[in-house]
Amino acid sequence: MPYCETQPGSFAVTEKTAAPAPHAPSSKRLEPLRQVDAGVLSIAYYEAGPADGPAVMLMHGFPYDIHSYVDVAPQLAAQGCRVIVPYLRGYGPTRFRDPATPRSGEQAAVGADMMALMDALRIRRAVFAGYDWGGRAACVGAALWPERCIGLVCVNSYLIQDIANAMAPLRPEREVALWYQYYFQLERGRAGLAANRREIARILWTDWSPNWPFDDACFERTAVAFDNPDYVDVVIHSYRHRFGLADGDPQYADIQRRLSALPAITVPTITLDGEGDGVAPATDGTASATKFTGRRVHRVVSRAGHNLPQEAPEAFVAAVMELIKA
Amino acid sequence: MSDSVDRRRRLLLGAALSGIASRAFARAEAPVRPAPAPSSRRMEPLKHVDADVLNIAYYEEGPADGPVAILLHGFPYDIHSYVEVTPRLAAQGCRVIVPYLRGFGATRFRDPATPRSGEQVAIGADVIALMDALGIPRAVLAGHNWGGRAACVAAALWPERCSGMVTVNSYLIQDLARAMVPISPKYEVALWYEYYFQLERGRAGLAANRREIARLLWEQWSPKWDFDDAAFERSAAAHDNPDYVDVVIHSYRHRFGHAAGDPHYADLQRRLASLPPIAVPSVTLDGDKDGVLPASDGSASAPKFTGRRIHRVVPGAGHNVPQEAPEAFAAAVMELIKA
Repeated sequence: MPYCETQPGSFAVTEKTAAPAPHAPSSKRLEPLRQVDAGVLSIAYYEAGPADGPAVMLMHGFPYDIHSYVDVAPQLAAQGCRVIVPYLRGYGPTRFRDPATPRSGEQAAVGADMMALMDALRIRRAVFAGYDWGGRAACVGAALWPERCIGLVCVNSYLIQDIANAMAPLRPEREVALWYQYYFQLERGRAGLAANRREIARILWTDWSPNWPFDDACFERTAVAFDNPDYVDVVIHSYRHRFGLADGDPQYADIQRRLSALPAITVPTITLDGEGDGVAPATDGTASATKFTGRRVHRVVSRAGHNLPQEAPEAFVAAVMELIKA
Repeated sequence: MSDSVDRRRRLLLGAALSGIASRAFARAEAPVRPAPAPSSRRMEPLKHVDADVLNIAYYEEGPADGPVAILLHGFPYDIHSYVEVTPRLAAQGCRVIVPYLRGFGATRFRDPATPRSGEQVAIGADVIALMDALGIPRAVLAGHNWGGRAACVAAALWPERCSGMVTVNSYLIQDLARAMVPISPKYEVALWYEYYFQLERGRAGLAANRREIARLLWEQWSPKWDFDDAAFERSAAAHDNPDYVDVVIHSYRHRFGHAAGDPHYADLQRRLASLPPIAVPSVTLDGDKDGVLPASDGSASAPKFTGRRIHRVVPGAGHNVPQEAPEAFAAAVMELIKA
């Protein structure tokens, strides 16, 4: 069984009729890229599928890139979706348009970037789907701009950060897994990330996805995205801001103020947890239930780790398609 | 058995060796391990003495007129790291002193106003203050982790008080000026607690979960050490000291330049900033299963030891070498006593 329902929602789960497609080889790339000015960024993105199909925004996380969707994107396109897979700020060929723009990695900024991209591409509504930073961007977009969101697919449920409570400790075994977040608070961590971005990413991939046998080519295909000139600044700012130890970019202050209330998500939502997730352990979804006031289904995907769309593309695609067809 | 002859031979041989050669030499003398002491054994009764800013609790064993060995524990451990080393040394005629460091066990600050510093110079000065209080002119100083650092500090700044030094992980005086230089990520991961402690979240986490954090570190640092609950709890009780959290957090912030030192020790810390060499005879031990500071061949730290120095890798031992490999640790102390 590819996944188990732990909290059935009010709409039926699509029965899968085909065996899982074989995963794409590590040599496959999401190309060609397009580039569009959107807000403070010039965003590089991959697009597939019919221009008039229902739009799906596929948002990657840290330390990953658009190739988390290398299998998801073509499967959704084949089912008629217009798929948009952007490089987040600080990754790949996405660039800040102005050298003076703060290299913020705060949650409000990554959420606002997604909305700016939709505006630039004149996409009125879309399914927002993501994991890690990208899941957070999707949650921010869904919570603050529900009129733009057909539905939400998010790994690890509700990801809007409660910065006011960032100093409350977790169980120590959970804190161990957050070593990189604590490391990044120090200038040593910034220097370490700048010098060893691949080694750090590889440690995190391995720890977070213990059942995922990715190969060197697969890793390197993504790791080149970390050579972005803003990568270190954006990553370090992201991890300092969430602990309240770095100021936000003033242009996102209003958005962040609204996020600090931990707004509920009203749009139809499917949340997925990887049973093997090594950084955000799988849950039964109940702790976050009050944050989803619309229809919400929660699933645990067997064996999958933190990079769920790349590790279990069929489960991720199925979730997106259920929201499209609902 | 020609134990002392054998030790002397090893000391001479070891002194003639360095680098990789000394690692090979270490492997040749894998200690045979007798059954460990039961976890119920405690180092009791404790004695107490006023020593500068502290009232230090310590365990003492062995003849009062014997050569003195001071055994210094680390974080997050306590004096029971030496539960098996101590009787071995006492049986060979040593006067063994095993103090609780500041912030641990029954040791207390005498003045509520004294800063709860955990900086390296403070724990080194505490050792000298204890020796002064007990009227001990010279001793072998032996330790691991914080205790190894205390031994290094004392040996470097007060060599006339130190007849020899045993440390785990070689030269441990911190180079604060280079604290922001990253190391290989695979080793940074093991320092998660040090980075965690920079945040107030880490202070709150340590205060709330001191046992869970200590147990994680014991397991990570000593992957081959099969300690039981009773052995852990015997030491973990020392972490209930009212100054434990303050001293630990200050220690880990100070070493990264994120907390100011106690002005009382400013002159001494200035001297440590030059990373002074250690001139006294030294035996350095690395556990080849150490999960936080990987075993070395000793060559990188060689310039810091200007006297006789032997380096050994102890097979099977993790970070808590004196408790995991008491024979190797006791043998190192006795070699310096007899030299």
